[in-house]
Amino acid sequence: MRVEPFDTSRHMAFTRRATIMSGGTLALFGGVVFRLYDLQVRRHEDFRALADDNQFNQRLIVPLRGNIYDRYGAVVATNEQDFRVLVIPERTKDLKETLLTLSTIMPLTEREIVSVMDKARRQRSFIPIVVADNLDWETFAAVNFHSTDLSGIVSEVGTARSYDPDAGAAFVVGYMGAATSDDISRVNREAPSTEDAEKTELLYRQPGFKIGKAGLERKFDASLQGEAGSIRVQVNAHGRVIDSYPDTSVAPVQGEPLGLTIDKELQARALQILAADYGEYPEGTQEPHPVSASAVVLDVVTGDVLVMASTPAFDPNVFSRGIEASYWRELNQSPLKPLLNKPVAGTYPPGSTFKLLTAIAAQEAGIPPSTRFNCNGSFPFGGRVATCWKKEGHGPLDMEGAIKHSCDVYFWNLATQVDIDHIADVGRRFALGETFDLGIGAEAEGTVPSRAWKRAYYRNDPPNQTWFPGETLSVAIGQGAVTATPMQLAVMTARIATHKVVRPRLVRAIGKELIPEPVFAELDGERNHMAPIRQGMNAVVNEWGTAARSTLLPDFQMAGKTGTSQVVGLKRDPETGRRLRNEELPWKLRDHALFVSFAPYDNPRYACCVVVEHGGSGSRAAGPRARDIMRSVLEKDPGDGIRHDLWSGGTAQRMARLGGTR
Amino acid sequence: MNAIVIEAAGRSKIRQRLSELNLLLIVLLAMIASAGIMALYSVADGSWTPYAMLHGMRFTFALAVLITIGIMPLKFWLSVAYPGYAATLFLLLLVPIIGDTNMGAQRWLSLGGFQLQPSELMKVALILALARYYHGLEFKRVSTILGLIPPLAMIGAPVGLVFLQPDLGTAILLGLSGFSVVLLAGLSWRLVVLGMIAGVGAVIGAVQTGLLKSYQIDRITAFLDPDADPLGANYHPNQSKIAIGSGGIDGKGYMEGTQSQLDFLPEMHTDFIFTIIGEEFGLYGAVVLLLLYLGVFFTTLQIAMSAKSHFGRLLSFGIALTFVSYVLINTGMVMGLAPVVGVPLPLVSHGGTVMLSMMGGFGLVMSTWIHRNQDTLRTSGFGA
Repeated sequence: MRVEPFDTSRHMAFTRRATIMSGGTLALFGGVVFRLYDLQVRRHEDFRALADDNQFNQRLIVPLRGNIYDRYGAVVATNEQDFRVLVIPERTKDLKETLLTLSTIMPLTEREIVSVMDKARRQRSFIPIVVADNLDWETFAAVNFHSTDLSGIVSEVGTARSYDPDAGAAFVVGYMGAATSDDISRVNREAPSTEDAEKTELLYRQPGFKIGKAGLERKFDASLQGEAGSIRVQVNAHGRVIDSYPDTSVAPVQGEPLGLTIDKELQARALQILAADYGEYPEGTQEPHPVSASAVVLDVVTGDVLVMASTPAFDPNVFSRGIEASYWRELNQSPLKPLLNKPVAGTYPPGSTFKLLTAIAAQEAGIPPSTRFNCNGSFPFGGRVATCWKKEGHGPLDMEGAIKHSCDVYFWNLATQVDIDHIADVGRRFALGETFDLGIGAEAEGTVPSRAWKRAYYRNDPPNQTWFPGETLSVAIGQGAVTATPMQLAVMTARIATHKVVRPRLVRAIGKELIPEPVFAELDGERNHMAPIRQGMNAVVNEWGTAARSTLLPDFQMAGKTGTSQVVGLKRDPETGRRLRNEELPWKLRDHALFVSFAPYDNPRYACCVVVEHGGSGSRAAGPRARDIMRSVLEKDPGDGIRHDLWSGGTAQRMARLGGTR
Repeated sequence: MNAIVIEAAGRSKIRQRLSELNLLLIVLLAMIASAGIMALYSVADGSWTPYAMLHGMRFTFALAVLITIGIMPLKFWLSVAYPGYAATLFLLLLVPIIGDTNMGAQRWLSLGGFQLQPSELMKVALILALARYYHGLEFKRVSTILGLIPPLAMIGAPVGLVFLQPDLGTAILLGLSGFSVVLLAGLSWRLVVLGMIAGVGAVIGAVQTGLLKSYQIDRITAFLDPDADPLGANYHPNQSKIAIGSGGIDGKGYMEGTQSQLDFLPEMHTDFIFTIIGEEFGLYGAVVLLLLYLGVFFTTLQIAMSAKSHFGRLLSFGIALTFVSYVLINTGMVMGLAPVVGVPLPLVSHGGTVMLSMMGGFGLVMSTWIHRNQDTLRTSGFGA
């Protein structure tokens, strides 16, 4: 069948349909244009903001950490150039291969490589990972030299915390470490706003960023940290930085400096003195042993802690850089307890130094200091006989003489007339059982025994423990349950010397602001009760008392009190029953040696406490060390214009500028 | 068969036909392709490689194909309509057997070094065949059942095959363009409504019976709920909306588009190329491009109207409708008006087969123009 090629009806139909469909097409195009108008004109601002959110990002600039200075402005902790090597996994051809090649240029252990690979798996591949830091210049230069062949390896000079190794201030300043996920969640909890939390979290996650982990670094972390700066960067969809805009950046603000009360020089000197051989075990010493000791020196007027020394100590630089497991084990397992902050966390029976407090309690109980008791070397009590440290006895002594000779019998006599709760009350007034919120954490309270304490301590095992009078006798001479930290004993001495509520402090300046020197209130109790105590302490040192060898006369007049506290009960030879001397015992069983002192006697300015663990005898091991420490302190005393060179020449201005005071 | 042998056309004849080329159409197409080159240059971060240069070369080649097809007599195209359709259908059948799998779909045939997408060729072949069919069909038989069965089979076979590849976008486009030729041929409105109902029913049925792949369903549900799954199925449309919207009235400037230059939109060079125009040239640029497309559409409409043969009319306007369907679905897709179904922007998106099939289609339009006065194409009915 043939079809007419020119069929009018179908042409007409086509024209109608084509017209309709063209109209439809035109309408649809109109719809598209309207949508364009909707997106590009009406909702333009919304989309513009979304696009900006997409492409612009604030990147943090890590701030420099505030320095930590000692009281004269000498640097204790600062930021040092840190040569480090980073790897950007995305830019390497093969991460493992690159690291293996790198290990031929610089020392890199298998474990370090594995840990970098681990990190690389956990984060996006353009974020740099620290491969190694604290490199020496040679290694750094070698890596630099080869880094053009090693794509993805970046050598960088950053900053790292550095502590003056001579300051021996590890226990004061603490150390730094990378923020853990716990730290980050803590920050998120504590931040005032989510914006702050995000910013801090971002800062904490910067490669190589460290936060204060212990000591004042931790306590003042917020002010030391400073304000992170920011820079606006353009990023692509993967978060990689394409471009940066320095003109819109906010410069980071270095953290506030921190001024310590510590005198770095004295601290170093004290550490030397503590560690030096003072011949405390002259002959026949069964077991020579390195010294484990601590010393605290306080300014009794301001409470400034000039010296807070603990030996042996560790190097905070090592901690901040990441400690080797073997070194950590060694520190942890040493009997010398190098990780223990002995001045505030070490608790010791105060021994005879406690007798000062017993004497105060006795005076408050109405026993005048002139009261004499006779010492014939033994003291029968409750069917048993206690012996004075001097078996042949001291003869009749008043309170001053009893302190001078540290006569046990005299204080036992006092103990029979003074209630234990009263002694405990005096102890607490004189800083025992007290913590001082020094900001370094780990302050131990020690033990001040009392009836309430005993009830609480034994609770139900056995129940209803009562206080036995015999226990008061032990406490009266600083034995038994009573323990105290060297810091507490130093504060006790300062309170005896001033009869004021002296409280120690470690920080004297935050930022540029000096913290005003505290004015201490008068201590509860009678000021004149101190007189016989101080006179006794003077006699101990300067009038052929128990610490006669520790006198600083004729240069200075220092008053003090020895203490020798037993670690275990009396040690006797199993065969002869003879009382063994310290040097015949294993180190661990020897007595602790203590010495508390203040100086100058007539106008007290400094208080000092030295504790030598298992040092044997207070007069041999602790006294002479305290004497030498106190001499250094007094020689540097800014009030002592003749001997002290800080006041001569330009140093005076320097002192004035730094606000250094005695 | 009234096959006309090409060799018979002498040189002078060729020159004469060349002088009759519709220059407006060529210029408009070239302007659209230039917009594509500019956009692709920008997508590649200001580089001629890998897209812009190739795109230009492809256009040049496709333009040569257009002219070659255009100067060939319309009668020749009439005569090859059925064989061409059959051959393309055969290629489509080959795809699942020897085709290459690319991004989860089997759409490609490797033919001696270059890749071919038979489904793209089918768009032109289908229109050609349908135009050929209706050319030989009496008008009164258009709306009869017997008259409807052959075109429905011609449309159904390739649509089904392409849908199974799976290539939802091309299947929809094929169906649409085929159906529009049927519509142009004068199908009664009653049957048009019935056909639409059947189409909707087919889509619902496809969803219900699980014929649609899960990613296709994801895209459709994502389109219906644009706030859901912003990093998954809705990532592309959301980011392209941001790109276009942030462009504003006058755009961010050439090569300054942040969304597109910063990789927020992957695969920018293919289906989402319109976003870069909207972002960098703003409303002005996008509207100018749309006007160019409309210009092509109306030029083709004019050509169709001027043709004396029913074949030429249906063919030209079928091509024009296919062309704008691409544009409307693509721009609707990147602006969140249509689900993401993988339809390129013709002559702008990077892709060889689409360019070739579209330019080939316009070659047929050109042939219609040059031979618009040949009204006596003697043919008989279907199968003749």
